Amino acid sequence: MAEMSAAERPVDALDQYRRDAGLSHSELWLRYFEIGGMSNAVELEAFLYGALQPSTHDREVIAQALNERFVELGGNHPVPYAETDN
Amino acid sequence: MSSSGLSEKRAGPSAFDEPLGGFGVTVGFVNASAVLSVRGSMDHLSSCELGAIWDAVVERHLSVVLDLTQLTFISSLGLQVVATRALQLKASGGTLIIRSPSSAVIRMLELRGVAEVAHLERTDPSPSHLGAEQTSERDGAIVDVEPHHMSRYLGMTTGIPADNDVVDGALRLVVALARATVAGADGVSVSLRRYGQLGTVAASDQTISDMDASQYATGEGPCVDASVKGRWFHAESLETETRWPAFTPRAQALGISAILSTPLLAADLPVGALNIYSRTAMAFVCEAQVLASVFATEASSILTAAGVAVTNEQLSLRLGEALRLRRLIAQAEGVIMEREGVGADRAYGMLCDLSRRSSLPFHQHAADVTASTQRLRTASDPEPTEHHDG
Repeated sequence: MAEMSAAERPVDALDQYRRDAGLSHSELWLRYFEIGGMSNAVELEAFLYGALQPSTHDREVIAQALNERFVELGGNHPVPYAETDN
Repeated sequence: MSSSGLSEKRAGPSAFDEPLGGFGVTVGFVNASAVLSVRGSMDHLSSCELGAIWDAVVERHLSVVLDLTQLTFISSLGLQVVATRALQLKASGGTLIIRSPSSAVIRMLELRGVAEVAHLERTDPSPSHLGAEQTSERDGAIVDVEPHHMSRYLGMTTGIPADNDVVDGALRLVVALARATVAGADGVSVSLRRYGQLGTVAASDQTISDMDASQYATGEGPCVDASVKGRWFHAESLETETRWPAFTPRAQALGISAILSTPLLAADLPVGALNIYSRTAMAFVCEAQVLASVFATEASSILTAAGVAVTNEQLSLRLGEALRLRRLIAQAEGVIMEREGVGADRAYGMLCDLSRRSSLPFHQHAADVTASTQRLRTASDPEPTEHHDG
């Protein structure tokens, strides 16, 4: 499947990944916090639904937390990471 | 409720006894109160951590004790985190005791209006305790956390189904079934506490939703009492009801005459209520009460199965482990920053890259990076030589 550009992705694309990963919001927040996320659970939820724009770092941590879950389920990092100058 | 596993860990080395900056939080539970004991230095990073832990705990406990006995320093961001959370807790109907704040901390909290919403429990302050706190702004870059920051976010997320969509769907079904089968029911709703605030996750119509909202706004009413106290409340006739003076007239204005609120329990903790409203006084006879109880039990099973309320011990252990892993990752970031001459975000990205190329969890790479410095240090240390005098 061709990857969608950022503009093409639905605003709640991150929440769709969360649902696919079978994680509740609170479980995802714990995982996100565990690997260095700094925002609280309400803010994280707003990021997932596209109500708030996460910082590049926050976006990276959310992608990492989701991807770790997908790896546990046998996937291979399907969530795109933040578009940084890495 | 007994003390949590983390409290028990205090005796020996634990996830909370971190050497970095000496900051630690112990989460304990005494009766219905969550006790957050903070120790060491609360700078920028640790303030955010305390905020996050606070939010996770307050989701289930509206009675909080913040013990500052072992606090040695608190930055202005730390004060802001405490102040913002204190005001939010008060707005949600919760109570806060701040134990052993120094006089400097008391002054700063008073300036932020916290003294009016929290009980400041002073113990005999030792001079050393007074000396270390709030004498300077140690973190040069204070993160902008405005007082209205959180309420703005909460406003944005209103109406978004929080947490598990499947759970919400099941609760909507319970509402529809109760509405159809409980004799005298003109409207039904389910209130659930999420992020420390009660909200309506399912309602049979807008009037019922408004009815719940009036209770959250006034902080009183059968739905609030059932959700917080875990007991059922029955207002047979609002004409003669005296328990909720602020809420009752609002309900009557919306045409409601009787209310039956039954608590929802997840893992034996009250997390919300099933509310049944009627336009007819004395509508809910014995049979209706039994049916309400059956539906509430079903909804409670759904919430328990979904892990809406993890046990205190589980929550404490998860938060403790999360703090330990965060510190490990921060250490690894520091090592990469030093080694590669890059900034924090880039260092984090490099850890992500490592994780992407393997199937190992992120913290495993962080542990490897940190361990590599230990190996280097060991290798570069001169071998201890033995001296023999003879």
